[in-house]
Amino acid sequence: MLQYIELSLKNLSYRKARAILTTLGVIIGITAVVSMVSIGEGMTKAVREQFEAFGTNKILVTSTMEYGVRGKGLTDGDVSNIEDIVGVEFVSPMYSVAAGGEFKGEEKVITVWGLDPGKAERTFSDVGGYRLLKGRWLEPGDRNVVVLGYRVHDDFFKSKVELGNSIKIQGEKFRVVGIFKETGDPEHDEAVMVNIDKLRELMGREKSVTAIVVRVKPGYDVDEVRQKIEDSLERRHEGVEFDVFTSQQLINAISSSLKVIQVVFGGIAGVSLIVGGIGIANTMIMNVVERTQEIGIMKATGATNSQVMRIFLFESGVFGFFGGMIGVLIGYIISTIINELAENYLGPGVLTTAVTPSLAFYAISFAILAGVISGLYPAYKAVKLDPVEALRA
Amino acid sequence: MKGLDIVRLEGVEKTYLMDRVKVPALRGINLSIEKGDYVSIMGPSGSGKSTLMNLIGALDRPTKGRVFIEGRDISKLSDNSLARIRREKIGFVFQQFNLIPRLTAIENVELPMWFAGVPKVQRVKRAAELLKLVGLGDRMKHRPTELSGGERQRVCIARALGNDPEIILADEPTGNLDTKSGEGIMRILEELNERGKTIVLVTHEREFGKRANTIIKIRDGRIVG
Repeated sequence: MLQYIELSLKNLSYRKARAILTTLGVIIGITAVVSMVSIGEGMTKAVREQFEAFGTNKILVTSTMEYGVRGKGLTDGDVSNIEDIVGVEFVSPMYSVAAGGEFKGEEKVITVWGLDPGKAERTFSDVGGYRLLKGRWLEPGDRNVVVLGYRVHDDFFKSKVELGNSIKIQGEKFRVVGIFKETGDPEHDEAVMVNIDKLRELMGREKSVTAIVVRVKPGYDVDEVRQKIEDSLERRHEGVEFDVFTSQQLINAISSSLKVIQVVFGGIAGVSLIVGGIGIANTMIMNVVERTQEIGIMKATGATNSQVMRIFLFESGVFGFFGGMIGVLIGYIISTIINELAENYLGPGVLTTAVTPSLAFYAISFAILAGVISGLYPAYKAVKLDPVEALRA
Repeated sequence: MKGLDIVRLEGVEKTYLMDRVKVPALRGINLSIEKGDYVSIMGPSGSGKSTLMNLIGALDRPTKGRVFIEGRDISKLSDNSLARIRREKIGFVFQQFNLIPRLTAIENVELPMWFAGVPKVQRVKRAAELLKLVGLGDRMKHRPTELSGGERQRVCIARALGNDPEIILADEPTGNLDTKSGEGIMRILEELNERGKTIVLVTHEREFGKRANTIIKIRDGRIVG
């Protein structure tokens, strides 16, 4: 085995430019495979982590009612109904709206989340990203106080909003008692949290709820509870005006659409690898033609057909091996660059691609296999040469 | 061990198919070569002497008749069995030298041992010895292009001796050499014969051909004397 590798290297190094160009095809293919797969994996992991941070024991009920459409959306009645379902630990209604905000005379539309002040921390403290930078969460009895997303504190308004400052929402003053750390997600970072009742009063929507977060008691099946919530809501509402998801369902739905992306990525990468393989086959056929006489010499000096076959298969396999190695290396570099970019533009930890050892192993094995397969036909041609005619060439 | 036929041909015919026309190259050859003999096969070009040489060298199979090497009929053997016979029993010396240009002199000599699976240390040692034997002890790392014609032919002889074969088949070994180098090659071959190797020399150069113990003349695919 070792001697075949030695001979292959010797043969390939004789025509360096050709060997490099041939390997380039495989390098591009494997680079594509490695970077695409690692991006795909990174995306899947990112999504999974976000939802897992939300908690797999949580169920989210959202109203499908659009703003301004008349009808019965989710209400406080639904909230108290869900509270009575067996297996429900606690229920936190939310009301979210885009409202008019004002700070130091500067007016801007701002996303406001209304929450039960007594439940705000329990609802969100274990959700990824919701960590306090300064101050405190909403507390029971809070009315005209607000907790800010990081960007609202930092650069949403022309001047920074600090603890103890007041901002106006729909014309009414709210004192800042807390600021969240940056999450990287603008939807979170550019929103503020206030008392749900206070917010609904301001908006004139006393009983309305846009979403309900339900936490399931330990030991209860999340899907069963979800089904009960759905049944209970269906009894109160005509037609479907709401969606009920568990975080697991969301993970599954998004994971499967990411799978599709990965397959498409993988397909594109696969095509480039096939092109690389054709390059190897082409070079190897040229080699066989050029080395016809040499094949005659090998046969005259006692090479069996299988030895000739092995010599050429090793050569094409070596193309695959080097292409694979270099491809994995470049794929790794690309993945690292993407991580840097993602950290700078999307925020830390949002997208982390990874070239795992098993991905590297499979990519290199795959490249060797592609090389050997590409070498089959040229090697067969070499084997089939008649020694007498080959010597005469 | 003189007296034993190392090569025997019985009623051997070889016909080539060229553009669907059958061209007879050999038309019924009967021939015996004794172990340790020094035989020259002489004839004009196109007489069939190269075809005969290929059959004796187990590079080709006869269309009709049988070829025996050390008493074994090789006319119906598979490609791989023929390869093994070439590897163990026969050493080729070609007019065109047929060295692999990428490999150094010593690597070229190693080749038949490589195919026979001789371990590297032994292989290199023996290849070096063989190169010294043909007087190229100081040219081992040279590539064929860096060697003169005579030197190349000596590398080729060293290679032919790699697996210590019984028979050395030399096809016009002096054809591409000047007289002096040619003479040198002939001397090496004759020395090998003195050491017991069976030498089969194909040539159209009378002077060299006449030096053999047995001379086989061939014309139009038949032995004429």
